[in-house]
Amino acid sequence: MPTSLFQLSRKKFLRAPQLEAKLAIKILMGFVILYFGGSLLFLGIVVYPILSDQFPERDPISIINSVLVLIFIFELIIRYFLQQLPITEIKSFLLLSIPKKRIIRNVLFRSLLSVYNAIPVLLYLPISISMLKDDYALDQVIFWWVAVTAFSLCLNFISFLANKNNLALAGFVVLLILLYLGESYLDIEILRAVGYFFDALITQPLWVLVPLGIFVLLYQITFNFLKNNLNLEGSLAAKKEVANAGRYDFLDVFGSHALFLKNDLRLIIRNVRPRNIVLMSFLFLFYGLFFFTQDNQPEAMLVFASIFISGGFLLTYGSYVPAWDSEYYAFLMSQNLSYKKYLDSKWRLMTFAIVVSTVLSLPYLYFGIKIYLLILSGAAFNVGLGTWITLYGGLLNKQPLKLNVKAKAFENTQAFSGKLFLMIIPKMVLPVLLYIIPASFFNETAGYLTLAASGVLGIVFKNQILAQMVKLFAKEKHEMLNAFSQK
Amino acid sequence: MPLAKNKHMITATSLTKSYGETTVLNIEQLEIPKGQCFGLVGNNGAGKTTFFSILLDLIKTSTGEIISNDIAVAQSEEWKTFTSAFIDDSFLIGYLTPEEYFYFVGELRGIDKAAVDLFLETYVDFFNDEILNQKKYLRDFSKGNQKKVGLIATFIGNPKVVILDEPFANLDPTTQIRLKQLIKAETEKRELTLLISSHDLNHVTDVCNRIVLLERGAVIMDKETTAKTLQELEDYFSA
Repeated sequence: MPTSLFQLSRKKFLRAPQLEAKLAIKILMGFVILYFGGSLLFLGIVVYPILSDQFPERDPISIINSVLVLIFIFELIIRYFLQQLPITEIKSFLLLSIPKKRIIRNVLFRSLLSVYNAIPVLLYLPISISMLKDDYALDQVIFWWVAVTAFSLCLNFISFLANKNNLALAGFVVLLILLYLGESYLDIEILRAVGYFFDALITQPLWVLVPLGIFVLLYQITFNFLKNNLNLEGSLAAKKEVANAGRYDFLDVFGSHALFLKNDLRLIIRNVRPRNIVLMSFLFLFYGLFFFTQDNQPEAMLVFASIFISGGFLLTYGSYVPAWDSEYYAFLMSQNLSYKKYLDSKWRLMTFAIVVSTVLSLPYLYFGIKIYLLILSGAAFNVGLGTWITLYGGLLNKQPLKLNVKAKAFENTQAFSGKLFLMIIPKMVLPVLLYIIPASFFNETAGYLTLAASGVLGIVFKNQILAQMVKLFAKEKHEMLNAFSQK
Repeated sequence: MPLAKNKHMITATSLTKSYGETTVLNIEQLEIPKGQCFGLVGNNGAGKTTFFSILLDLIKTSTGEIISNDIAVAQSEEWKTFTSAFIDDSFLIGYLTPEEYFYFVGELRGIDKAAVDLFLETYVDFFNDEILNQKKYLRDFSKGNQKKVGLIATFIGNPKVVILDEPFANLDPTTQIRLKQLIKAETEKRELTLLISSHDLNHVTDVCNRIVLLERGAVIMDKETTAKTLQELEDYFSA
């Protein structure tokens, strides 16, 4: 008899290689979660009293209702990038005599236990209590809470379904833009309708059936999706691609580096996961639009934005170097390859991507020369230091990667896991400090110059840094081989 | 030119590998002369792949060391210039076509495209029209055909030491026979030290001039191959 599926996932964690590293990361993540959880709880507690204080003529809950849709959208984006459904282990159970339904139910139920689903408790429960104090009837408050919670849990499934479908995200973004345009120019009140819906719910509790219905429906859709894909898996696996015998000889201009550059390019073009990740890195180009369009943004935010604009490829693809080569790492390590050339060509690839992004970001000149100078000095930082920090992080990130995962539904997308988020921190905080400190002591120009100079220094001392990286690379060889062989 | 210090290509001295309490490999002394075709047999867990992995510095030893052509493999990377291996499919790059893979290996060993093409021509029979010009990535080939690619790639650039883990497994009968012919031809052509592990006693006694039997990491038997060797091995394994 198979023991509980829960026990298996517990064992998977405890018996994983590099348990200590994983544990340390879990603990760090724990603090991050505590921080965000605490902030949410605080927000939940204070928002209602503050609103009734500031807008005595309006019902606070109505104001909250009117912005709920924005909270939901934000929540969905966060979930889309960070939340993962625990589905990796499904495959091993398929041939066991456990009913498929039970496996899927287990996965879906566990996904409901995810920390992201604490939002309704942390944020909405204190609001509900404030409502009670404000003389709302108990049943009204309960129905309101159940409705927002049901919506929040719906997002759990929506983010999963969207994650499995590349078009879904694009579709969602387009839909949002259309709704926003419709709202602001054509006076179509779709987004605001959500607010009215929750207002109505307080007077007519029966409306609670709508979110509950949607929740049940989404559960069923996700359930069926998983069930059908479990069946299809076999036939999908038989599919074979016709090799695209593209010529990569044009890369020969890079001389002895061409060998690895060619392979990296093939890796990106011919494998599902790196392809998606690189496509995603283009989205980073638009990151500046969030910040540069608003007045009175703190300067730290502007530095962030410029680092993101030129560093999309670094943050996405770069973080997984050399894990991209994990499938055949033993082969590489037994070949007569120079670590120096190997790492150097990875550096060149990242530098190339930064230069391309910087050129593509020329339209930001529209926001003024200062913004573009910031982007340029950020790019210099990325080339000189960001690349090495990324490579260093990549060397420490000993997680094997499967390159060409056919049915994405059965693999962790791994694309934006919390762990990687932690590695991003030095890449982001350092440039901000390099800019902010001189800028606040002297002026903006000093900020640009320091940030750019740090990058130039990195380029000047490239050979020294590279030599250190080669040493580290050689030192970590056996541990990496061991970690990469764990599938 | 420095004179070769000894006639041995590979020397393993007080070699052990343990994971915690369990010792998976324990070899007091093992010498493999230059030009020998060395066969390693033993049941699962006997330590064959562990031995090869240490020889390729893919895992660290617990004690002892392996010297390959006067180079301690754990100390220097120099052995890589004359050694090649095919252990398992992690030695293939799945997203390359066989040609691209051969060129890649060739370039790593300083052999240009034209020379690789010339080299591949000699193996047309072995490939049996199933490998070249297939417009397929390696990951989409069958296990047997993947193996053909990996095996042939080890011979690119005339390495002095070639290590093949289970080369006969997964191959179709025709290819198994051709592989034996190929191995014999390669070892006759030049001074090649070839290390093979196999579960196929027939094949391994056929091609190798020395057989070493491992059990639980220790050498149980070490013999020059004779007409009787196959029978002796069969007796041992059926006992």
